[in-house]
Amino acid sequence: MKLLVTALLLLAPLLRAAESASGAPPAMPPCCAVIAPDAPLSGRSIYQLDSIWTNDAGRVSRLAALRGRPVILAMFFSHCEYACPVLVQDLHRLRAQLPEAVRERAAIVLVSFDTVRDTPAALRAFRERMSLDAGWTLLRGETDAVEDLAMLLGVKFKQDARGQFAHSNLITILNAEGEIVHQHAGLQGDISEAARAVALPLH
Amino acid sequence: MRLSSCLRLGAAALAWIGGALVVARATPAAGVTTGMTLIPTGTYAPLVRSQDETAEVAVPSFWLDAVPVTNAEFLAFVQANPKWRRSAVSPLFADRGYLGDWAGDLELGPLAPPAAPVVRVSWFAARAYAQSMGKRLPTTAEWERAAAAGFAGPAGSTEPGFQSALLAWVTRPTPQPLPNVGSGRPNFFGVRDLHGLVWEWVADFNTAMVTGESRGDTGLERNLFCGAGAAGLRDPSDFPAFMRIGFRSSLRASYAVPNLGFRCARSP
Repeated sequence: MKLLVTALLLLAPLLRAAESASGAPPAMPPCCAVIAPDAPLSGRSIYQLDSIWTNDAGRVSRLAALRGRPVILAMFFSHCEYACPVLVQDLHRLRAQLPEAVRERAAIVLVSFDTVRDTPAALRAFRERMSLDAGWTLLRGETDAVEDLAMLLGVKFKQDARGQFAHSNLITILNAEGEIVHQHAGLQGDISEAARAVALPLH
Repeated sequence: MRLSSCLRLGAAALAWIGGALVVARATPAAGVTTGMTLIPTGTYAPLVRSQDETAEVAVPSFWLDAVPVTNAEFLAFVQANPKWRRSAVSPLFADRGYLGDWAGDLELGPLAPPAAPVVRVSWFAARAYAQSMGKRLPTTAEWERAAAAGFAGPAGSTEPGFQSALLAWVTRPTPQPLPNVGSGRPNFFGVRDLHGLVWEWVADFNTAMVTGESRGDTGLERNLFCGAGAAGLRDPSDFPAFMRIGFRSSLRASYAVPNLGFRCARSP
């Protein structure tokens, strides 16, 4: 019996590959799901926040638009001199550790603290400067939205007299329902646990 | 709560026992400031500051509730706003301790006298209450500016009687249930219970970072709060201010903990 199950498990990816080759949609990795937009949110989903965000292309959306895929979320600001470039490198490392199917579905989302200077154009310049591909979403919001998100994530931040922000370096992993499943604090640490959290089955 | 072991003693000990004068408060319409006190423009000297911060921060004048929000007032709020009832609140916005002293969703019970301060409320719930009243939570600078006043003048640190009263509070256990709001002696601005009754939420509690850059830099924080960390502080003898910073830095916005209530503020 055990052998049979093992054999089936080993076969499963092959079967799925055959399926996709024959034109059927590729199987969704276990981290991910197609969720109807009107399906009720879980009580722990941060997508209960109905704040409005603007991306670097000027498109407006709610965080709930990310529903259905795992999200690697961090807060930053584009004028950051030290920590944020390092944070971006950490996120690159994290992404590189993901299984390919998960990597294709996962969204990396950077949300700015800087409600004044981080306009869509400034975020666009940051994207170019850091060579970020379409897997990265850069968002800006108004003060209330930024504050609420920081409060929910437990991110501390404070703007100093020069306009720079002191802030927690915190990477948050959300599952496809927008629930916090892992948080990684600090820079340049071992992020393998965070990478495993991204690939976790949804339930 | 990383710092809880250090702070529990203090958190449980801050209590003022006195008379039972309660400041009446009505639901204010815009512009009306019943039960609020105007704190004139002044300055706030942070206990801990980073190198590029100035020693004193200007605090424009603002209105502050003369006493903390009571159980009865919060009950009226949850009656009008069902999503903030204990059984309905999202776990995202209030943890399991939310309104834990109440007997039921809409019933205060023996542990929550109507005129006692409401506690076990999350930051999100406190902010929602304040917004429903057309108010907001005070900032750290505003709260500390009001709380720095003594009985006789705006600078309690220079009043021997005030400093000894503060230290006396720290050694008293918290009575259960909590005493009524307004029991404390009014300070120079006419505000009561800033010290000695409950801890209070501030709008920007999450700026109490102390070590600057990194949440991961916990060793330094721990040294600062639990060790002999008073060096470098503005005034090492200001123990209550020191405890407030530690307490705030240990909070998250969904926490609903005993002895943590709030009062509201409003800009003129």
